[in-house]
Amino acid sequence: MTPEEQRFLLVGAGLFVLGTIGFLTRRNLILMVLSAELMLHGVSLTMVTFGKMHQTQEGQAFTIFTLTVAACEAGLALSLVLALYRKSHSLDIQLWSELRESDLAGPTPDIAAETEKPVDAYENIPKLTPAGIVPKDPPRTSSSSGAASSGRV
Amino acid sequence: MMDWIQLNPMTLVGLVLWAVGILWLMPAKHGGKPRSRIPGLVLTAAGLVSFCLACGKPNSELADEVMFWVFGIGALLCGVLMITARNPVYAALWFALTTLATCGLFLLQSAPFLAAATIIVYAGAVIVTFLFVIMLAQQSGAAGYDQRSGQSVLATVAAFVFLGSIAMTLQAEKLDIEVPPVPAVAAVAESAPAAVGAMSGMPGILMNLPTEEPAKPPEPGNLLSVADADHPVGNLKGLGRSLFGDYLFAVELAGTLLLVACIGAIAIAPRREQGVL
Repeated sequence: MTPEEQRFLLVGAGLFVLGTIGFLTRRNLILMVLSAELMLHGVSLTMVTFGKMHQTQEGQAFTIFTLTVAACEAGLALSLVLALYRKSHSLDIQLWSELRESDLAGPTPDIAAETEKPVDAYENIPKLTPAGIVPKDPPRTSSSSGAASSGRV
Repeated sequence: MMDWIQLNPMTLVGLVLWAVGILWLMPAKHGGKPRSRIPGLVLTAAGLVSFCLACGKPNSELADEVMFWVFGIGALLCGVLMITARNPVYAALWFALTTLATCGLFLLQSAPFLAAATIIVYAGAVIVTFLFVIMLAQQSGAAGYDQRSGQSVLATVAAFVFLGSIAMTLQAEKLDIEVPPVPAVAAVAESAPAAVGAMSGMPGILMNLPTEEPAKPPEPGNLLSVADADHPVGNLKGLGRSLFGDYLFAVELAGTLLLVACIGAIAIAPRREQGVL
């Protein structure tokens, strides 16, 4: 590997890492999608360099496919962002942190404190109507309750 | 590890300066007004220069050297400014500049078609779409969540440890690859129809083929994608042969993917009867 190729690979890695930082730190939905596109640029540059190293056209062919997928991803991501914006009237990603797994920690307290939630947020979220019969409590006998309590202890 | 640090101190210094510059530039509110961006910019530029200086001295021509420095430093610096911009419109514009600089690097790596396609797709379509969405969604100007960044220290440190490990791998290991010798034109020309025939031929026809040719071990890789004297790397004809020869099925799949993504985007995007944004 010549120094020429080495520095192109380093620039590609640098672009990828910058995209990673942007994706992890920024809280704007659109900026997160843009950072993902930056990561794709880094990978494209690396693949073109690899193709030149190996004297084959495959690097550039792969990059064309990457370009296609990036275009699809941008279109889908922007329509998703618009749909989310309709629901929360904000581009803040922290407003959707309620979708996280219930056993995970929430956003850091200082961020959660200053996240201003619009008053009419979440008004368009579809609600599930309760259906079916609410099951009654199973009849409790003395033995089962004793077993349950002993198990609980 | 220690050998690498002793051999390439410039890389480590550059990485550290660059990371500190990014941390300084990250939007964060400290009481009143945001801090000045100039020290962060100086730190980032110094880190970038020493990071790129550390890659050894290639014996390339002066024009190539100048273009690499302009495009490489430009891409990385515009990337830093993009991820630290407080206004998403500016971030999109910095991203357009990063795209242009990356296309310059593509040109240096002898990929002119790819550079043109990337400019058309990104600067022509993607950036414009992003700007439209920003204008739709942020009509009130800068929002509060753009003035803060979450977990910036952790993210930057983790990302730069990753970048440092990549740099260490690239600089410490001697990744000498075996470049296959350029095959003669006749060899590729005679093997290409055989590959196409094997792809499309019926099994019955294949069984009837004479089998007196000596059993040659199959050549690795895709034959139509190998660059030769007639089709050097980046040659448009060679790229077309690779795309529509070796990767024809993938090209069809990519077209289908575009169709599906188009339908999906139309279906997901909010409709007018659901109310305005």
